[in-house]
Amino acid sequence: MDKQIREYIELLLKEAEKAGFIESEVYYDSDASMSISAREGKIIQYENSDTTALSFRGLFNGQMGYASTEDIQKDMIPFLLSQAKDNCGVLEVKESITVYEGDKEYPEFNGFSEDLEALTYDQMAEYALSLEKALLAFDSRIEAVDDCYTMYSSGEVYIANSKGMICESKDNSFDVYIGCRAKEGDDVQTYGKGWSYTHLSEFDIDSCVKDVGSRVIAKLGAAPIPSVKTSIVLDKKAAHSLLASFVGSFSAEAIQKGLSRLCGKQDEVIANDKITLIDEGMIDGSPLCLPFDAEGVSAKRTVLIDKGVFKSPLHNRKTALVDGVMTTGNASRGGAKGAIGISPSNLYIENGEYSLDDLFKKMDNGVYITALHGLHAGINSISGDFSLMSEGFVIKDGMIGDPVNQITIADNFFDVLMKVDALGNDVEYFSPEATHIQSPSLLIPDVSVAGE
Amino acid sequence: MLSKESIERILTAALSHGGDFSEVYIERSKQSSVSLLNGVVEGTGSSLDCGIGIRILEGDKCVYVFSNDLYHEEKLIRMAQNASASLAGTPDGKTVYLEPQMEYFSQKYEIAPTAVSKSERVRKLRAASETAKAYSALITQTSASTADVEKDVWIANSDGLYVKDHRCRTRIMIQAISSSNEDKQYGYFGPGSGEGYEFFENYDIDALATEAARIATTMIDAKPCPSGKMPVVIGNGFGGVIFHEACGHALEATAVGIKSSYFTDMQGKQIASPIVTAYDDAKIAKEWGSYEIDDEGTASTTNLLIKDGILNSYLIDKIGSRRMGQSSTGCARRQNYSFAPTSRMSNTFIAAGSSKKEDIIADTEYGIYAANMGGGSVDTSTGEFNFAVNEAYMIRNGMICEPVKGATLIGKGNEVLMNIDRVGDDLKLAQGICGSVSGNIPVDVGQPTIRVSEITVGGQA
Repeated sequence: MDKQIREYIELLLKEAEKAGFIESEVYYDSDASMSISAREGKIIQYENSDTTALSFRGLFNGQMGYASTEDIQKDMIPFLLSQAKDNCGVLEVKESITVYEGDKEYPEFNGFSEDLEALTYDQMAEYALSLEKALLAFDSRIEAVDDCYTMYSSGEVYIANSKGMICESKDNSFDVYIGCRAKEGDDVQTYGKGWSYTHLSEFDIDSCVKDVGSRVIAKLGAAPIPSVKTSIVLDKKAAHSLLASFVGSFSAEAIQKGLSRLCGKQDEVIANDKITLIDEGMIDGSPLCLPFDAEGVSAKRTVLIDKGVFKSPLHNRKTALVDGVMTTGNASRGGAKGAIGISPSNLYIENGEYSLDDLFKKMDNGVYITALHGLHAGINSISGDFSLMSEGFVIKDGMIGDPVNQITIADNFFDVLMKVDALGNDVEYFSPEATHIQSPSLLIPDVSVAGE
Repeated sequence: MLSKESIERILTAALSHGGDFSEVYIERSKQSSVSLLNGVVEGTGSSLDCGIGIRILEGDKCVYVFSNDLYHEEKLIRMAQNASASLAGTPDGKTVYLEPQMEYFSQKYEIAPTAVSKSERVRKLRAASETAKAYSALITQTSASTADVEKDVWIANSDGLYVKDHRCRTRIMIQAISSSNEDKQYGYFGPGSGEGYEFFENYDIDALATEAARIATTMIDAKPCPSGKMPVVIGNGFGGVIFHEACGHALEATAVGIKSSYFTDMQGKQIASPIVTAYDDAKIAKEWGSYEIDDEGTASTTNLLIKDGILNSYLIDKIGSRRMGQSSTGCARRQNYSFAPTSRMSNTFIAAGSSKKEDIIADTEYGIYAANMGGGSVDTSTGEFNFAVNEAYMIRNGMICEPVKGATLIGKGNEVLMNIDRVGDDLKLAQGICGSVSGNIPVDVGQPTIRVSEITVGGQA
């Protein structure tokens, strides 16, 4: 943490007190990244960045006002304080929450890897070029690698407030993305995938290339199937994207505002008893952790659904106070600019017992859905209804058959939770493919598929 | 702020080791927002963003570095030198001198948004919230918000160009939510403008609130939409999102320049039904997606994309022009300094045709009337697109019948454009945010009422 920034934040908190703020807090983040893209055997794009942002919030006349800046100069302090104070004057919901005094202990976290920090431009360029070359060589039908980049990024978060709490954390990662185009006759198919590594030793060019190459080739010849109501196996990646689209329903803020279908459902059965949904602030070894949330509360573990019963939503300190419970440590902010909201840390549906092949056998006939598209539009995030463009493969007699595209699947997320027939055992919590929301593959009966 | 001489030194440093073109983009913007839930102010924010992006080109290779430290010239020069070094070309030892600064006003507002207190906005938003709530007992929640940004940008490059542009955009968002048992449906509108505070002052927010409430209450009674291939009549205004997704993105040099688009090498050829003519027009006064100069400092244009079904022009930025051997169409855009600019849309629409909306419906025996659309997405290599319908009705025997919910339309861009068999005379534009490689930018979509003879409709029934 830069000494100058630390002093600046101390000064800002002092000035805030002088300006009449009863309490105040500063959230600072800085990010740096380097990314390199390769195409047709050349480095086609190189990006390098270094940015910082700072947000101030302060309690004045019973309101918590926010203001943020990317221009961190002393003369910006009056701007931040006056804007935050003006914003206090506009707000009408009485603020019941104060800034946090901090926890005695925080989990240990080492998200910063020195072997990644040592990565050079030449190394990363070499990786990008090798990925493209190897993917083009994987199969002659792979016509082009339209997206191929390697990226190193590092970030720092620092929260300090008038109650003396200081939380700081830094992390870094090495990301790789390859997206390619395959062609056979007039048929064009695309596939892309990304990985995020916390240690360089995990990165293996051949396995990335094999993964993307074999998937794009498998899609060649894809065609729609006739409209039908059928069973589907939703691949873990597609299941994760569906869960991520509806995760807002589990926020106590949405529930308290009546903007979630889980309103008034606590301790009721909302899912099949095969489903247990958990959020963990820190999973040992997972790259996607933070020892504290955006209010400085130490990371926790929360069971949201226990064998089908809705046990708890995700809370920050404000919603927890309303419900008379302890916060689950899920306060978040979308960078320094956003106000404090709620989001999951590492959220996952616990593994079931079936391998993917066993799910196909159990289903016997149906569709294996490998990807969902248009998730930002084709869902009603409150009612749970969705209708989404999808792709995958026909499953016939328990075996993978022809590739399918240009279909939609439509159902309701909450109905899906109830009617899931079987869960896969394929969640990998610590792999470089992991995202912070995960689900095993799901066998779901009676789903509307629209096609020909 | 960096002086002209500082910028010259940075541009020169950016060519010190390699590169044939360097460019600096600096921005400073003030953003403010206020949001009401159920008529009560629950959120408001103010932020100041600033930063610099330095871009170096060598042929079609691009190096981009950015920072929000605008105060340490030595640091920026070092960044520019390092960026140049990554190109490892042959430096031509050029020293950059800038022409006198030209000043532009992409948006000419009457009242600066920052000049008016938030409580004025709150008063109007509260009234609109009450209107929506009062529309029906089925309306259980309302949200209403405004957002505005005043942005100054400076663009300078090694050709000597040095311009400053003043930009300003304002937006209103209204949502009404209806509830019945477990179901919740919503009506949403988000009109935006290239005007100042006068947009908030003059806009009939109450009428908008009524319309949002009408959709929410209509859709709560709706049955699930049927699925399968059928004719679809798509309403004017935001219905234009179909052209934006199915065609617009695939005409961008980002895809065409690397020959990944399904419209590559199609100039002069028929790509749409002969009744389709379409534009990307960044010059429409006061429009949300308009600008006077693009983010490379090039003057904006009225770009005729398709004339009578024939592909006339692509959307081309500087790198695209180098790759494609055609001039820039003044469409280089970016969300902010943290993105290198690329070819993007501005106000993109299908031009008015000759059919009457009533006749288009009357001519349709069975199908869907998609009155209001949601967002969508596209894969510009395969042409596969999808988008959601927020308000839809069955059409039977030439009549609009009961509402249906949960419809998504999917198809392939090249096929759907050929299947447009009616174009109405009721052209209307609507505002949205388009997300792509250079970030989220304000754009207009638009069209008159059109009919697609056959498209896959995905619904729950």
